[in-house]
Formats: sequence, structure tokens, C-alpha cells
Amino acid sequence: MTFGQILFILFGLVTIIAAVMVVVRRNLFHAALFLVLSFFGVAALYVLLEAYFFAAAQVLVYVGAISILIIFAVMLTRGVMGGQSGNSQWREAAVICGILLVGLVGLLSPVAINFLGRNFGGLQWRIAGGAAGLPVVSEQILANLGMGFVDLNQYALPFVLSGVLILLAMVGAIWVARERHPAEVLAERKQIAAELAADAAAEAITTPEVAPTEQHAH
Amino acid sequence: MLNGIPLSWFLILAAALFCIGLYGALARKNAVAILMGVELMLNAVNINLIAFWRYLNPSATVGLAFAAFVFIVAAAEASVGLALIISAYRNMRSVDPEQMDLLKM
Repeated sequence: MTFGQILFILFGLVTIIAAVMVVVRRNLFHAALFLVLSFFGVAALYVLLEAYFFAAAQVLVYVGAISILIIFAVMLTRGVMGGQSGNSQWREAAVICGILLVGLVGLLSPVAINFLGRNFGGLQWRIAGGAAGLPVVSEQILANLGMGFVDLNQYALPFVLSGVLILLAMVGAIWVARERHPAEVLAERKQIAAELAADAAAEAITTPEVAPTEQHAH
Repeated sequence: MLNGIPLSWFLILAAALFCIGLYGALARKNAVAILMGVELMLNAVNINLIAFWRYLNPSATVGLAFAAFVFIVAAAEASVGLALIISAYRNMRSVDPEQMDLLKM
């Protein structure tokens, strides 16, 4: 077993076990902390894949920003935790995910598996470099990626659009989660209730009740 | 560093992470926990994208660009989703999706 395999198994186990703890822990705060551990494991896998920029971005974006957002959301909605962790359909969900997992692992397994007369797995990927082994990643790849983001013939449009998406998401999040004065909320609810009542009254006028005695006319 | 690690190991790990995230998104009782499951699923997809880039075409940047856009969309999704949860909690004092049925006829 090579050093790389040992590292992969180590970080893979950390990632998977932390992810399992995220979905089974009843205490949401603990689940959020395990989510951070799982993100770190994924960052280590990116290092193993020699995508160093993405490992750093994973630590910055997921571990730094998204996990803080989630922990804040957990703490702002505190007091509703406890009770069971799963909803009423958790058994069906577990069965579905188990079947999906078994199917995917069977499809992706390195050795072919004979199941009901058909062969699954054993896919032959066209690995770069062929028998000579994987080529090393060019030092220029990150510079090329950065140039691609501003090159009109490559990813300039999606890059600009993703900037717009981030801006809109930020403005929308602030708008949706803004603190509202209680009087304003009450006035809005009263107005909605009045509109609903007016609608109901209008409907009652336009659709008169048909007397049950008229039904045997024909 | 990748000596002896087949591509399928990364794919199987990502599949397992995706299924765990899917279970979290389907089975949890709390909307914040559902978002955590969605984040796990997005991470699994990103592992797949970067593994394919490294093994199949490490000289091109398209796999990395895809992974970068997944990062950006995940950040936007997390911020809007958590804002919605906080707003819903303010209105109905609950983050249980089974109780959010205002739009139900």
C-alpha cells in the first residue's frame, strides 16, 4: 500500500464519518461542527488531487464562511432543537439512499460485478498519460484558469454572471431576513386578512348555492 | 502523490458522501440540517469534478472552472437559504418543514 493510498483512506474516513455524524446527530450545533470537519476532509482530498487553489478556496469559503452562516442560523433558531432528529419519512429516505449507494458503488467499482447475468462496474477510464502514469500538473494551470476567467472566448460571461448572482443573492438575503417592526407586520397581516375576507364575500355573491331540490329537473 | 489511487476510489467516496447528504436532506426534521445535507451533496459533486479533471484532462482548465462555479453557486445558495429559514422562523416560530404549509390548499 502506497503512501498516497494511506492518506486517501485516512482523509476519506474522516470525511465520511464526519458526514454521517452531521446527518444523525440530534444536536444541531454538534452537527454543524462535524460539518466543518467534513469540509476539512474534502479540502485534504483536494490537496491529494493536487488542486491546491481549490483546497484553499474550500477552507476559505466552506470552513470560513458557509459554516459560520450555518452556525449563526442554528443559534438564531435555537430553542426548537431536541426531539427526534428525523422526520416521519426517515425510514423511506434511508432505504432510498441505501439502494442508491449500493447501485452507485456497484456501477463504479474497479472490478466487474456479475449481477442477474449482466456485468456492472469495471469501467475503463481513459486516464491521461496512459501507461506512463499521470502527468504532473502544470505550474501554469492556475494562471491559465485566471486568464480563462477574463477571456471572452472562454469563461468571461459565466464569471461576470456569477458575480451578478452573488450580488443578487446577498441583496436578496438581506431583504428576506431583515428585521421588521412588529407594527408593520401586524398591519400587513390585517390587510391580507381583509383582502381574503373581501375575496370570500365576492365569491359568495357570484356563485349562489344551487338548491339540492333542483337536481331532479331533467 | 496520487500513486496507486485509482480514479474509482474518488468516485466511490463522492458517491458515499452524496448519499449521506441526500439522506440528510430527505430525513431531517430541521430546515438548517436539510441545508447541511445539501452542502454535503455539493461537496461530493465538486470532488467528482476535480477528480475527473486530475485524472482525465489535467492540462485543460475546464474542470477547474466548473468546480469554481459550483463553489460560487453554493455560497449564494447557502446565504439565501439561511435567510429564508430565519425569516420563516420569525414568522412561525418553527424551522420544521412539515409545519411550513401556508401555500397548501
